Amino acid sequence: MKIWRRLVLAPSLVLTLASPSFGQDVESRLKALEETTKAQQEKFEEQHRLIDELKSSPPGGASAPGAAGTAARPTPGEPAQAAGPGQEGTTAKLTGIFGGSAMTNPYLSLIVNTFFYGSNLTQTELDSRTIPGFTNVPVGVHKGFNLESAELMIFAPVDPYFNLYANIPVTEDGTELEEAYFVTSSLPGGLQVKGGKFKSGIGRINAQHPHAWDFVDVPLNYRAFMGNEGMGGEKGIQVTWLPDLPVYLQLGVEALQGENDQLFGADAKDWPHAFTVFAKTSMEIGDSGTILLGPYIAWGKANIPTVADNTTFTGNTDLFGFEIVYKWKPQRGTAFTLQSEYLYRKQTGDLRTGEVSDPASTVAPLTRAQDGIYVQGLYQIDRWRVGARYDVLDLLKKDYILSGSQQSLGKQPWRATGALEFNPSEFTRIRLQYTRDESSRDGQPNNELYLQMLLGIGAHAAHSF
Amino acid sequence: MRKSAIVLIALFLSASPAFAKVKVVATLQWIGSVAHEIGNRHVEVTTLVKPNQDPHLVDAKPSMILATRKADILMYNGLDLEIGYLPVLIESSRNPNIQPGKPGNFDGSHFVTVLEKPISVDRSMGDVHPLGNPHYHYSARNILAVAEGMANALSTIDPAHADSYRANLATFREKVRAKQKEWSGLPLKGKRYVAYHKYFEYLAADYGFKIVAYVEPKPGIPPSAGYIERLIETIKETRPDGILLTPYYGRRETDFLTQKTGVRSIVVPHDAGSTPGAKDWFSFMDQALSALVK
Repeated sequence: MKIWRRLVLAPSLVLTLASPSFGQDVESRLKALEETTKAQQEKFEEQHRLIDELKSSPPGGASAPGAAGTAARPTPGEPAQAAGPGQEGTTAKLTGIFGGSAMTNPYLSLIVNTFFYGSNLTQTELDSRTIPGFTNVPVGVHKGFNLESAELMIFAPVDPYFNLYANIPVTEDGTELEEAYFVTSSLPGGLQVKGGKFKSGIGRINAQHPHAWDFVDVPLNYRAFMGNEGMGGEKGIQVTWLPDLPVYLQLGVEALQGENDQLFGADAKDWPHAFTVFAKTSMEIGDSGTILLGPYIAWGKANIPTVADNTTFTGNTDLFGFEIVYKWKPQRGTAFTLQSEYLYRKQTGDLRTGEVSDPASTVAPLTRAQDGIYVQGLYQIDRWRVGARYDVLDLLKKDYILSGSQQSLGKQPWRATGALEFNPSEFTRIRLQYTRDESSRDGQPNNELYLQMLLGIGAHAAHSF
Repeated sequence: MRKSAIVLIALFLSASPAFAKVKVVATLQWIGSVAHEIGNRHVEVTTLVKPNQDPHLVDAKPSMILATRKADILMYNGLDLEIGYLPVLIESSRNPNIQPGKPGNFDGSHFVTVLEKPISVDRSMGDVHPLGNPHYHYSARNILAVAEGMANALSTIDPAHADSYRANLATFREKVRAKQKEWSGLPLKGKRYVAYHKYFEYLAADYGFKIVAYVEPKPGIPPSAGYIERLIETIKETRPDGILLTPYYGRRETDFLTQKTGVRSIVVPHDAGSTPGAKDWFSFMDQALSALVK
């Protein structure tokens, strides 16, 4: 007991000795002491109140509606948590900007994209269904159950200068490295550099991952000019600039290796041979509306097998696009989006029919100057969202000039799509989509029905505009 | 003559930052309001999320990116409340000042006492915040702590006006303390309410009332018809003092409950600016508490 007292006394003595004891600030010290005492008093009162509160509230809250049902039902709105309000006064010090708490692990998320597909066509017809004059690549869906992918996303800041992202879709065919790139976070002057393998910033849909698309598939002009997943991940470097202006204006340039099978092709050149420039500007319209619009260009060398079967096209590609998005979010749970992109693609070069090594193969000059547009609208009420899309090719320009003469390719390709989504939570999406597809030029329609499920676990993905 | 001109220019250049206001970008209205109290004439406050929007479900709009690009300091609620857009916003802003770890990255939750920090959590429990209940702005005690943090952060960024921030903090403290006295006299102790969302836990802890049930079966998950039916029974049995909801959120369900049970619905503002009179944090709190008492 004596020892205990001494132990308590000793530090307080030291404290007394250490504090300056000049007469003139006795008053201020007294005041400080009074304040401390008062604060402690308040703390005591608060704790007493808490004790009372806890005593008076039996755990489980017998009056909760869950108790009215079966006893086994968990108390509504009460996840497993420390006893009651106020008891566990833990101060959160571990918030990361991406949420979660562990610094040592990167943020992980996994998104499963699976759907059921129905069509009036046979699987053989689907497998050979192309858009003549545009692409010979079929969509690649199977009648019945499809597993598009399980998409693994990994991201975290590397250090104060870089953030790192990787996107690894695992499909039945294997694992892809769709994206793996760094983004700078501390460059001055509104500059940002992205490098590695990433989705191009041109256009609206290119930068989106398939799970973020507004429909199961990409619009026709994306499919025709860039492929079934848009441009996809390309190796290269991107520099964007957000100047300090009164209006939002983002300018970007990219130098890419150029592996896209519709635009460039890996073998077109042993050197980066695809380049893009883009601009995006945006303004607020009224209280709840936002508009974003921007032109973009991509150009480069081409060596592609996708013009028609058993052909190789070599030459130059230019792609011009314009995106426009209007979003209206008047209140919680209500949103309307209207979005459109126009694409014009020009390719000039030679079309070889047959293998290069085959002396019987023929070469003819080909110029393709074609365009396409899609327009889509989505209206959301609470957990429901309905969407409609119309996409068409050969809108204003439909040049397919082989050996100097325009080829007749058939009917104008178009599609009309309607979709209904139910989003039980932020992490689940159930989508029913119907498409009338008249893109094969032969008058044979494809009536497609998709029932898609998208589910995500792990780190919370952020919603960009 | 030339020398003195150079000296004058040099003086002007060195002095000019002192005249420039600190650009504060706040995510939520109450944060903007408190930042204005502390920074006053030395800051220029831009608030990103309109009070009629759900802070969980905001997109990182270009206008928000532009504002954040110009910020000297970004102030946010934290506890994952802004998880849906803040990471995109911070990265897209291309602004080195506001990156995590910099003095210009101000997370208000670092200063507060958090309630309802779950011991274990997964998303089958709904939109539970793993770091605790994020709506701590209903707590005067927490606001005082955040305000002090703001004064320190602003002083770090703009040391020239540190005294002014200190003085504003002292004034703010006085105002809050006076209000606390006023509010503590309100007859809320022992009252029982049903709430739509887990918004009012800090008020309940401070003023001694209880939330006996929630209209949402799990945070962020709207109730099913079956759940509502059970809830009606519970309300009829327990006769709570009111059903609490926030503007823009849960009106339909609470109206239905009121109609079925006769227990009144009470709209409690969820942030400054969410109702016409709630222009700043003080009037927001005044309205919230007087709505409960009414």
